[in-house]
Amino acid sequence: MINVISNNKLKSTIALAALQNVIDPEIGISVVDLGLIYQIDFEETEHKIFVTMTLTTQFCPMGESLTGAVKRAIEHTFVKEEAIVELTFDPPWTHGRISEEGKQFLNR
Amino acid sequence: MFAGVINNQPMQNTTYKVVLPFYTYAALSLFAACFLLLISTGSFTGHYFNPHILAITHMMALGWGTMIILGAGYQLIPVLIEKSLYSIKLANWSFFLAATGIPLLAYGFYNFDMGWPAKWGGRLVFISVSLFVINLAKSIQKSKNRNVHAWFMLAASVWLFVTALYGLVLVYNFTFPIYKRNHIELIPLHAHTGVIGWFLLLVIGVGSKLIPMFMISKYTNSKQLWLIFLLINTALVLFISLYIFKAANAIFFFPVVMLLTSLIVFAQYCYKSYKQRIRKQVDEQMKLSLLSLLMMLLPVAVIFFLIGLFVSGKEDMRIVLLYGFVIFFGWITAIIFGMTFKTLPFIVWNKVYGKIAGLGKTPGPKDLYSERLFAAMSVSYLAGFVIFIAGILTIEKVVLTIGSSLLLLSALLYCVNAGKLIFHKAF
Repeated sequence: MINVISNNKLKSTIALAALQNVIDPEIGISVVDLGLIYQIDFEETEHKIFVTMTLTTQFCPMGESLTGAVKRAIEHTFVKEEAIVELTFDPPWTHGRISEEGKQFLNR
Repeated sequence: MFAGVINNQPMQNTTYKVVLPFYTYAALSLFAACFLLLISTGSFTGHYFNPHILAITHMMALGWGTMIILGAGYQLIPVLIEKSLYSIKLANWSFFLAATGIPLLAYGFYNFDMGWPAKWGGRLVFISVSLFVINLAKSIQKSKNRNVHAWFMLAASVWLFVTALYGLVLVYNFTFPIYKRNHIELIPLHAHTGVIGWFLLLVIGVGSKLIPMFMISKYTNSKQLWLIFLLINTALVLFISLYIFKAANAIFFFPVVMLLTSLIVFAQYCYKSYKQRIRKQVDEQMKLSLLSLLMMLLPVAVIFFLIGLFVSGKEDMRIVLLYGFVIFFGWITAIIFGMTFKTLPFIVWNKVYGKIAGLGKTPGPKDLYSERLFAAMSVSYLAGFVIFIAGILTIEKVVLTIGSSLLLLSALLYCVNAGKLIFHKAF
């Protein structure tokens, strides 16, 4: 099971479903299955969604594309909200964060 | 909240506008070098110190190998040192200067005109290399993370600087004799600082980061990498010292053994990365790259044989030619073939689809070039490589022509596939 913190379980499930379509082009699995998404918080009054995520390496050449894709996917699903993507490398990403589905895909 | 949220944008990577001209130039240089190889097969039946061979070697070493490594280097420096590139302007200048200097130098060698074309070519290449070294050193200086990969890159760039400077001095030595020693005797120093100091250190420094990254491997061992770093640099310094002080031929086995040890340790590093990979599938590009690492052992085997010949008082020009050929057309070309189609698709994908990703289905980086062309290129290349070696050893012009024709075909297929990528437009 993917461990993502959120202040709204229902909405975060919808957000994670949307993020399943954001595929890391190198690895071929979604940013969710890769374990890049750490936290999704919803600020109802400000109409903002804060996504805290990481990258497999700090200077991942695909970094800008991935954070942009996450923002676009969230705003495409929650059309009245603004998505704010924040990057963190603390804790850093490890292979242990890959979901079981992701591991099965990579084991093929 | 998580600690250390840095901002809402990732650290800045080098723009594709800097990188793509290097890849394009390198592809065209490879084609030009293979064309020169085809029309100069007669030169491969004699001494290696020949205008055509010098021109081909410099097209391969500078136009092909160095240009693509500089381009990929500008893209990879931020990944390796975890800090943005110091200056985009310097990177662009390094391209323009080298792009102008390399054809001048090759023209000078091909026609053995050591006047203004070779001199200006050498000067421009030297300035270009200096700009690369400054850019890399400044980038590392502002980075807090001075890991082993960064040291490999820095040391390699310093050796490149030494090679370019010494090369320029050698160009001047044709018209204003600076050294008393025979010109041919000076070439091994220039060649080995370039091949071992620049190419080998850089390939291992970058490969040790990229190979585990592409295979999603858990393996990491910086102690092993530091040992390789120490062995290669010591072997090179030892070789230079022995050469300058004209040591007995047999003593040259020592630096070669050190070099071989470093390659064995690196092979072990790659094998462990491979065994501990999470992604089980290894694509064709990675297979060719891994094969090229094994091809590193080929020049080492040839140099062992060559030193053995020197020790027994014999000299065989075919083996010297073979040595240079397996380095530039073997190991260096194979690794670039593999890594081009591992790195370039992502650079182009970022350029074309990076701004629309997340809104719907987009093709993956692997869909941007032809895997069939890649397979045809690999077959043509490996066949051409083996046949050309047979041609060198048998001194048969027909065999050399068949080998070089296949290599030219592989260069053409490479250019078509790289062009397909570089000029890709959104579906």
